[in-house]
Amino acid sequence: MTDSAARDNAMTGQLAKALIEATGLLRGPLRVLPLIQKLLSDKLRVNFEQRGLYSYATTKRPSLEMLNSLLRWILDAQRPDGGIAAFYSLLRGYSESYPEVTGYIVPTLYDFARAAVDDRATLAAQRATRWLLSLQMPEGAFPAGLHGRQPQPSVFNTGQILQGLVRAHVETSRPEIRKSAIAAGDWLIKMQRSDGSWSGPGAYQASSHTYYSMVAWALAELSGHTADPQYGLAAERNLDWVLSHFQPSGWIDGINLQGHPNYLHFIAYVQQGVLECAILRRRNDAIEAVAKSAWVLLRKFETNKCLAGAYDSDFKSGQRFTCLTGNAQMSCVWLRLFELTGDLRYLNAALKMNEMLKQLIPVRGRRGIAGGVIGSYPVWGNYQPLRFISWGCKFFADALLLEQRLTRSVEVAAVEALPCAS
Amino acid sequence: MRIVVLCSSLYSETACAMAVCIAESGYVPAGALALSLDRGTLLRKVGQWGVRGVARYARTKLVPHQSDEQPRVSNPYLEPWLRHGDGIFRSLRQVGAVHRFPVAVCDEQNSPDSIALLREWSPDLIVFAGGNILRRQLLEVPPLGVLNVHLGLLPEIRGMSSPEWSLLTEIPVGITIHYMDAGIDTGPILQRYEFPGAAQCESLNDLRNRLIGFGVEKLAEIVAGLDQGTISAKPQSDLDRDNQFFVMHEWLQARSAERLTKNRLAVAENSNG
Repeated sequence: MTDSAARDNAMTGQLAKALIEATGLLRGPLRVLPLIQKLLSDKLRVNFEQRGLYSYATTKRPSLEMLNSLLRWILDAQRPDGGIAAFYSLLRGYSESYPEVTGYIVPTLYDFARAAVDDRATLAAQRATRWLLSLQMPEGAFPAGLHGRQPQPSVFNTGQILQGLVRAHVETSRPEIRKSAIAAGDWLIKMQRSDGSWSGPGAYQASSHTYYSMVAWALAELSGHTADPQYGLAAERNLDWVLSHFQPSGWIDGINLQGHPNYLHFIAYVQQGVLECAILRRRNDAIEAVAKSAWVLLRKFETNKCLAGAYDSDFKSGQRFTCLTGNAQMSCVWLRLFELTGDLRYLNAALKMNEMLKQLIPVRGRRGIAGGVIGSYPVWGNYQPLRFISWGCKFFADALLLEQRLTRSVEVAAVEALPCAS
Repeated sequence: MRIVVLCSSLYSETACAMAVCIAESGYVPAGALALSLDRGTLLRKVGQWGVRGVARYARTKLVPHQSDEQPRVSNPYLEPWLRHGDGIFRSLRQVGAVHRFPVAVCDEQNSPDSIALLREWSPDLIVFAGGNILRRQLLEVPPLGVLNVHLGLLPEIRGMSSPEWSLLTEIPVGITIHYMDAGIDTGPILQRYEFPGAAQCESLNDLRNRLIGFGVEKLAEIVAGLDQGTISAKPQSDLDRDNQFFVMHEWLQARSAERLTKNRLAVAENSNG
């Protein structure tokens, strides 16, 4: 299929989805009020916000309060089956449970439970895990898409869910979770091509994608947890394949979403997956490659005060919206790079990024809105328009949890070890 | 030598002090070009200082002071240059009137009109005291170049919040006087000065103010050195390393202020002990 045909197909698909979603207003006409409110508030903010080179967005909202809001949003989004909804649409309300996000939100819930000593998060993680176990297909894979559709095995979703399963087993030591994680890992290895990529059946659009580095990360975690080297080797095979797509400019080829631009969310996925996998596999070459790519985006963020919603292969962007999830993911990448390198500029950028994101989270509003992370800012931007998305909450919560841990360690270091003037 | 001062505002104390300092050294500026106040700057200042702060600032700059009222300078370390008789210079126009040089205002320093005006003044050297990011066309107007006083040691600390980053990264606090080029603080260096008074500073604001005063003082030396041909610029090493720093988040600023206090206490302890 040519690019333009793919684009046309994607546009038709999006239009159809938008129309179906808009019919949601007929079922819930009261939703029109928050919809108008959000459209107006974003319009006003876009018109009046100032992005000076010498300033950055600030807010008085403490990170812990923000984390509590995000958790409340996630708990509200947990459906009766135990899965987490993909999104809350301003047009049609909550979606069905989404296996992929439910999987990789599990580590966030456990991290939050530990940081805030909050049982609600632990219970939510346990319910989510039980639901996930019930979805596993006989071959070990997990299904693509929202719950309730014809199940199709999906490499990416299996990898993302594997992250949650590994963490759930670390926390609970329940043998059925370990068994499920190993079955998922074995299926991923079976589906992997000899060059380290995944394509064909089980891959999105049947093509290989560099953002499947997230799958490599999950396999590296499984290898570490089970002490079985085959998962680690598979992870490194993918890592090498992804690294071959890094360009000298820092750009990463091979995101390869036909009919869609290179959304920041996917660029950040590649970086996160490679970075975390590299940390687990002690691959300095991969860490350096991510640092180079992440630095290009850091400079763009520092200059423009937010990152564009999508970029072309020369890191240029004509997009007039930002993808909040991608921004939160980049905050995570920068915080991890600060942790690895000690370069305070990464921490500085992440702190400012988190401030910018806090400003864009609604403090008040109905369930599904308050504490939610919108797909795009402004709300009508291309990425998940008019939706508060659960993976946005997950990545922003991850960023704030990391921020808390790292700023605390800097404060401790400042008290204990900072040298005085000679 | 013909010198022109470029600055971000007519009311910039730093620009006024630089113009006075240069004039008193025998190099009366050929002109000064300031940016006009735009909506963006005004909103940013309201964000930084609050409405009351902006109103107070406007009052000190625009309303003539009462005879029984002591005129105030925001940066006390610039007072030696800003004090004029019983009062203080409150704007470049006042400095220009006393030292007899023209002062103009523009919306954009790189605009064709601004460049035409600069060419008319035909400076040998431009002193940059703030404003836009300068484009090549403007940088090429003065034969010697455009001077900048950077509040950090180059090439180690380029970009913004330089004093704060110097403290946090344990690079000595100081200033660098350099020629500007198309990059950010990447132009050839005329002189680097470590700042001896950093450990006496009460706060980051105090440190910044002292560094600005120190920079103005050293600027006169550099201008004289250039005129007499006793100093020359050296290209920066380390250009392939990305030493650019960005505006510092307030949480890190607080860590940087802690470092300043710790250094001050350590120096006090050493001198007592």
